[in-house]
Amino acid sequence: MTALLEVEGVGVRFGGIQALDDVSFALAEGELLGLIGPNGAGKTTMLRAITGVIRPNPGRIRLAGADITDFSTDRRARTGLALTHQIVKPLRAMTARDNVALAAGHAKTTNVLAALFAIDRTKELARADELLRLVGIENHADAMPSTLPLGALKRLEVARALALDPKVLLLDEPLAGLNHVEAARLADTIVDLNRAGMSIVLIEHNLGEVMRICPRLMVLDNGRRIAMGAAKTVMEDPFVRAAYLGREAGDAAA
Amino acid sequence: MLHVELTIQGLINGSMYALMAVGLTLVYGLLRILHVAHAGLYTLGAYIAVLIANATGSLALGAAVAIPVVGLAGMIVYRLLYEPILHRPPYVALIASIGLFIVMEESYRLIFGPYGETFNAPYLAERVSVGPIGAKAAEVAMVAGAIVLLGVLAFLSKRTRFGIAWRATVTDPAMARAFGVDTIAVRYANFFIASALAASAAVLVAVLNNLVEPTMGSVPSYKTLAIIVLGGLGNVAGTLVAALALGVIEAFGTIYIGHLLDRDAIAFLFLVLVLMIRPQGLFAAR
Amino acid sequence: MGSYELSLVTLAAIYVMLALSLNLITGFCGQISLGHAAFFGAGAYAAALLTKSGWPLAPALVSGAVLAAAFGFVVGLASLRVRHDFLAITTMGVGFLFIGFVRKQQGLGGELGLSGIPDHGLGPWGLAALTVTLAAATAALSLHIRRVWAGQAFAAIADDEDTARALGIDVMRYKLTAFVLGTALAGLAGGLFAHFTRFIIPDAFGFTVSISILAMVIIGGIGSTWGVLAGAVILTLMPELFRFINDYKLLLYGGLLLLVMRFAPGGLAGGIAALTARLRGAT
Ligand SMILES: Nc1ncnc2c1ncn2[C@@H]1O[C@H](COP(=O)(O)OP(=O)(O)OP(=O)(O)O)[C@@H](O)[C@H]1O
Ligand SMILES: [Mg+2]
Repeated sequence: MTALLEVEGVGVRFGGIQALDDVSFALAEGELLGLIGPNGAGKTTMLRAITGVIRPNPGRIRLAGADITDFSTDRRARTGLALTHQIVKPLRAMTARDNVALAAGHAKTTNVLAALFAIDRTKELARADELLRLVGIENHADAMPSTLPLGALKRLEVARALALDPKVLLLDEPLAGLNHVEAARLADTIVDLNRAGMSIVLIEHNLGEVMRICPRLMVLDNGRRIAMGAAKTVMEDPFVRAAYLGREAGDAAA
Repeated sequence: MLHVELTIQGLINGSMYALMAVGLTLVYGLLRILHVAHAGLYTLGAYIAVLIANATGSLALGAAVAIPVVGLAGMIVYRLLYEPILHRPPYVALIASIGLFIVMEESYRLIFGPYGETFNAPYLAERVSVGPIGAKAAEVAMVAGAIVLLGVLAFLSKRTRFGIAWRATVTDPAMARAFGVDTIAVRYANFFIASALAASAAVLVAVLNNLVEPTMGSVPSYKTLAIIVLGGLGNVAGTLVAALALGVIEAFGTIYIGHLLDRDAIAFLFLVLVLMIRPQGLFAAR
Repeated sequence: MGSYELSLVTLAAIYVMLALSLNLITGFCGQISLGHAAFFGAGAYAAALLTKSGWPLAPALVSGAVLAAAFGFVVGLASLRVRHDFLAITTMGVGFLFIGFVRKQQGLGGELGLSGIPDHGLGPWGLAALTVTLAAATAALSLHIRRVWAGQAFAAIADDEDTARALGIDVMRYKLTAFVLGTALAGLAGGLFAHFTRFIIPDAFGFTVSISILAMVIIGGIGSTWGVLAGAVILTLMPELFRFINDYKLLLYGGLLLLVMRFAPGGLAGGIAALTARLRGAT
């Protein structure tokens, strides 16, 4: 298998905190990789370094063989990286459908001059409806985000990320805040996406769902990669148990 | 000799900027509001002082009334204008504040006339000199006033319970609330102190120029915004340094680049140049 | 229509252009500018100097717009480096810098300004027709931008820059585009203004004017083309039609800014939208 996303020796420092310390990993084409670790382990920071919100120092990031470390966030998005936020960030002034359609129109917004003349949105609106159906919130298409419950907003984030036609989908705690029925449904959607060929990095605290759907796991603790491998082996790793399960095994097993 | 005098002149103006800008930066630090109407309160202080001084013959009485009254007016502005719109995007409060400032200036013009008021008997007009360096007594009072007032403020904020609560709230309101600080009271106190400082600056400026006019707040109003940005919005020490630095730069600039640029534009040239090099201001917030 | 009425129409049309041009930057793209009058002034001075040196009106107006846009591009570049609260103060600073600079330039007439700007040769009807046509074109452009993909991208940036970036929108280019378009139109309005009054002074492009333009946008309803258009017409004509207001013009602008921001941040357009929604709900 060829590596689609390669993260090489990434370090990130915030003042006195080493949020990430020499972390490397690779995501294979078509893989669903779980990224876990206790609170403050550096998971969100890793995603932000990949999408370019913060610059890793040191470290390189490659997507489909191309070095994207020096790309801006928007260019990385256009190159094929899509992200859902841990804290949902819908555009509040437009409907759910328009949120998704805007992302689906990424080819049309790329060139500002062309975008000043392009009006037709039929294709993108249709694509938006299709994606809203895929994540199961088609009945909320015309709603303004401020009126939607958290479960729907989490799904809207996923639909909007998919609309970018990404090579890699990065999901930051998509299940957090959902009840277990909702969580299981969204987890199933993620599996379906992966089966359809999407490469995914999934950050999640809901270990039950992670164990159920992710064949391979990477564990971060205090900014370091402490384990990587098949889900079962990782969970039996004594280091992981000490760093992570020791603190959270109770609620994860429940 | 010219340079010494320019520096002194700059420090005198800088002291006035400091008195005004500290209040502005505290309001920003606490509420993220660019409080343009601060300068309207400043002018109010000068009017109260000059009217009372002329009616009673006592400048001290004028100042003693003006400072607390303007402090209260600041609290009222917070209660009636800002508090209800705090949850809106920041430009809402900024534009509302500009609107209030214009309304205040225009009201002074309509009520007191456009030409301004002078003191019946000018105060502190005599010159004092140390060796070859001389200054008007009012100028000395300005610098001394700034040092004393800001010194007292610094002392109180470090040594009193309320001062500590205040600084904690500026740093992290949620945390302060968790420790039982009454953050609403802190906001009112903050507006009182900031506005009272502005009024003190206004009384000193009124005495110095022997003039109180409706538009006396315009120039300081926008210039102090530049200062608090340079100081790193919300950073008190940075603001003091920026205020004094700007006073001095203006004094020199008027002489050396005055033929190219208006005096009041020098502050903004400095501002734009600094922001291009350091977008976070000379001193980042905390 | 007498020449007085024609001059009111011309003035209102110029302010409609100005307000709509600021609305492109502040309303559509979410970038607060407190120095828009500087671009108005840049266009006015450039066009006036050119016709004074013998250029015909049309190329002078276009050059004024181009110069203002170049100035807008530089300010836009600068504004990319600063965020939110800093931007308002930076643009305000640019406004003060502009008049502070112009006042001291003998070539630009200094404090006394430029007089003897040549007759535009169109006659009062011609000039009114030209400005109204250009104002209508500006409104049409605004409505067009709202409909195209770029309008969606602007809206996303106004809403949340970081999210816009995550959706692949090149925030930097869009902001620069908004600045260039908005300031070019302000420059064009400036050239028209200079040839309308045939006499300009630095103070005609100062902070008060920037705030007046902003007041038209805010009171009309930030982001709404029709609202801003109405705001500009009303605020320009009211002090002229009711002479007793003239002395209280600034008080009126300031008071309206204050009241709108405090009680109805959607402005005129927002108020009307809320009202029609309520009426529909009632029937
Ligand atoms: N912008 C920032 N400035 C300073 N410190 C930060 C910043 N962002 C994150 N940190 C710190 O970096 C560390 C890693 O944070 P990160 O958000 O990546 O953790 P996480 O693994 O996503 O945690 P969680 O499971 O709670 O989401 C934490 O100690 C956090 O406090
Ligand atoms: Mg996180």
